[in-house]
Order: sequence, then C-alpha cells, then structure tokens
Amino acid sequence: MTRRFNALMLVVHLDSWLREFGPRRSEKVAAKSVEQLLDVLEGRYPRLRFKLRDETGQLRRYVRVFVDGEDVSGTTGVSTSLARAQTVDILHSIAGG
Amino acid sequence: MKRDDKVRILLGTRKGTYVVEGNRRRRDWKIGSVAHSGNEVYHVVADPRHPGDLYAAVNNAFWGPTVQRSRNWGKTWTEIATPLTPLQKDREPELDESSPTTPVPRPLNNLWHIEPGLPSEPDVLYLGADPHLLFRTRDRGESWEPIPSINDHPDKKKWAPGAGGACLHTILIDPRDPRLLYVGLSAVGTFRSEDGGQSWRPRNKGVEAPFLPDKHPETGQCVHHVAPDAADPDTFYRQDHGGMYVSHDRMDSWVRIGKPLGDDFGFGVSSPASAPGKAYFVRLDGPARITGEGYFQVHEWNDRARKWRKLVSPGAFPGHFGVHREGVTTDNLEPPGIYVGTTTGQLFVSPDAGKTWRLIPYQFPGIHSVSVANPTAR
Repeated sequence: MTRRFNALMLVVHLDSWLREFGPRRSEKVAAKSVEQLLDVLEGRYPRLRFKLRDETGQLRRYVRVFVDGEDVSGTTGVSTSLARAQTVDILHSIAGG
Repeated sequence: MKRDDKVRILLGTRKGTYVVEGNRRRRDWKIGSVAHSGNEVYHVVADPRHPGDLYAAVNNAFWGPTVQRSRNWGKTWTEIATPLTPLQKDREPELDESSPTTPVPRPLNNLWHIEPGLPSEPDVLYLGADPHLLFRTRDRGESWEPIPSINDHPDKKKWAPGAGGACLHTILIDPRDPRLLYVGLSAVGTFRSEDGGQSWRPRNKGVEAPFLPDKHPETGQCVHHVAPDAADPDTFYRQDHGGMYVSHDRMDSWVRIGKPLGDDFGFGVSSPASAPGKAYFVRLDGPARITGEGYFQVHEWNDRARKWRKLVSPGAFPGHFGVHREGVTTDNLEPPGIYVGTTTGQLFVSPDAGKTWRLIPYQFPGIHSVSVANPTAR
C-alpha cells in the first residue's frame, strides 16, 4: 500500500458522538503514540480534554481506540506506538441501556 | 433576568434534564425545556441568588462528568469548568496497599450534588462528587478548588463506597454563617466544619450502623440524605441506611425517630421553609428499595408533636416505587408543596402539604433528583 502522508502522519476517525467536542470529519495528525495523538487533538479541540481520557491520563472505560483496526484500549492503551500506523479510529464501546 | 411568578420543578433523570413549569396554584403543569438527552443527570438546582441560573451535574458514561449551567431557566446550557480530582504535585497521594510505594490515582467519577452558597457570598457554590470529594467555586463555576481537609481526610483509607458509589451527596450551609458547613458521605456519615471547610469532625453520634460489627462507630454510617429545618438551623432531619433521625444540636447527637414506622429505611427527606418543624420522608422496604406495602406513600414527621402522619391514601397510587436520595423536595410557598420523583419516572406533586396528591401525566426517565425553583416575584 502506498502511504499518502509522510512517515508520522496518520488519519484519525472520530466517533460521530464526539463531533460536539471535536472535528466533524477525519483529521490528519502526526504522532508517535496514542498519548501524543490525543495531546495533539486536545490541543486543536480543547473541549475534547477529559472526554477521552480522565485526569489520570488513562482512556475512559468506554472509549475504544483502534490502531489500523486493532483494539488497543485494553492492552497497550495510550502508550501504544503509532510508528507504523496509518489509521486510528476512536470510538465508544457498546454499553449502557 | 426578569423576575417571574412561575414555579419550576427541576428533574435530573437517567436520560437528561427536565424543567416542568407551573404557577403558585401548583395544579397544572407543563413540560418545559428538556436537555442533556442521554446523559445521567444526578442533580439539577436553581441558584436563587441569580434568578434564571440553573446548574446540572451531568454524568456521561462514555465521556465523563461535566458541570453545566443555564442562564435562562434551562432553555440553553453551557458546559463550564468541571472540577477534577486533584493530582497536583503538592497533594499527598493515596498508596496502593499491596505496593506501598505506588500512588493510586483516583479519577473523578460521578458528580452528585451542587449547592449554591449564601446570599452574602453570591459567587460561591459547592459541589460533591465521587470518590468522596468536595469542591468549591468562588466564581460561579468558572473554576473549582478542592477542599483538601475532607478530600484527603486521614481516615479516608477506611472509607468504602456504598451501592451508589463513594459519593459526597449532601452539602449544607448554615444560613447564619457561611463558615458553618455540613457534608454527608455514603457509607461514611456526616461531618461538620466550623471554619469554612479547613477542618471537619464526624458527627454521627447516636446513628446506628446495622451493617457493621461495631453498631455505633464514629464514622461508617451510611447517611442517605439530610434536610435542615428552615426555622431552626440547629435542627436536621436525616434519612440514614440505619433509619430516620433528628438532631437538635447541629448534628452533635442524633435521635432515631423512625422506629414507630417499623422499617424506617429510605433515601429522601425534605423540610419546607413554610412549615418549620415538619419533615417529609418516603419510607421504603429496606432489602427491596421500593415501597414495600404496594402503594405510593409519604410520611410527615411533626417534630414539635413528635408524631408521624401518613399523607397518601393507600388506594391512590398502587405500585412499587423507588425513590433516590434527591428524589424528595419541597417548595417555599404556603402551604408547602411536596414533590417526589421515582426511579421509574413518576412525578408526584402535592400543592397543599400532603392533603391532596397528583401524578403528573408524563412518563419521565428514571428520576435521580427533584428540586424546585421557587417564584422570584414576591
């Protein structure tokens, strides 16, 4: 596959429920880790702060982060490397009633 | 904000905020604004110092808690500063018992109660949250400061959450002195501060903890809600896990009043400004957390006569109803109105101190909290 962006640039797709706080479409972000990616997004969209991560810096319970299709929320979480990643999806999990 | 004559019932529900509008007769009601759809709203309150201002404790299961404010009786809302668990460098962290050098971060969970300050401090509000946290704002919610003396209380390691979480759910301010504060914490009990929150002392003497080996500990009682008497700031009515109580000495001691009722379990209690010496409780079956007799019922405690009175005809509203800790409130009109919201979304209103009752013909989501914005016109 031919990469469309430079080595660290990746495409982030955000949950439509987050459009109240963040970008309305996909976003191009250069980041080496999920943590850095979230820092960049929160810098661009301050209302995202504390929506995806609590104040300890960890992902909220029902936030799911997929790196190139793999759910890293319950494994490497915010420390996941994005060095080889092309896309990140940030979604909410199935929960509630 | 224009002064007006409306009575507004403010509901925090499992799926949003509702404002129900009526007038001083309190016979006819209409559903006004609805907001925060899909969010768990644990408390909505009007700020009587600034007519039109409402505050809501909005808890979103996905994106976390936020404090929201309306400047127009709930028509529109804005997210304002949300207090966060203090993880600053100057804060002593809790340590993991299994690894004594490992700090345990305690993220803010749900927001439970917002309490406007006294008229003499027009920009002050307090906020109670889980896990057992108290915050204060001095700028009407633009920023919040933690109250370390309760948030980092030396006994906190002993404090366990109740079924609803580790909630600090009751905040009371003595109307004579803004430095005289009271808080209620689930599975911990009540505390009093006489210095504006710089220090706190537990105030649970006389309250039984039937679920502990020591039935009368200094702390560990599970207070569900406390209502102050409007005419006597030294008197408080308490619905505890262990029964219904009254204190006449600023919570120095408590006397159980609920035993004549048999099972005196419940969550909500309120005492109206226009009926000093009276308090309204909704008695529930302890194990089931619902009205065990099979019908809606409210009990009136007359503190002067030291007598109970049932207010609702047993046949009026059959069913098994649950009522949360913020589910009972009263207004400041004469005669006092009593308002009860249930966990299954019914809203009961009495416009005449319990003489008559009406079920509002609207099915709300499960109701967490009921409060009243009293008319601002005199």
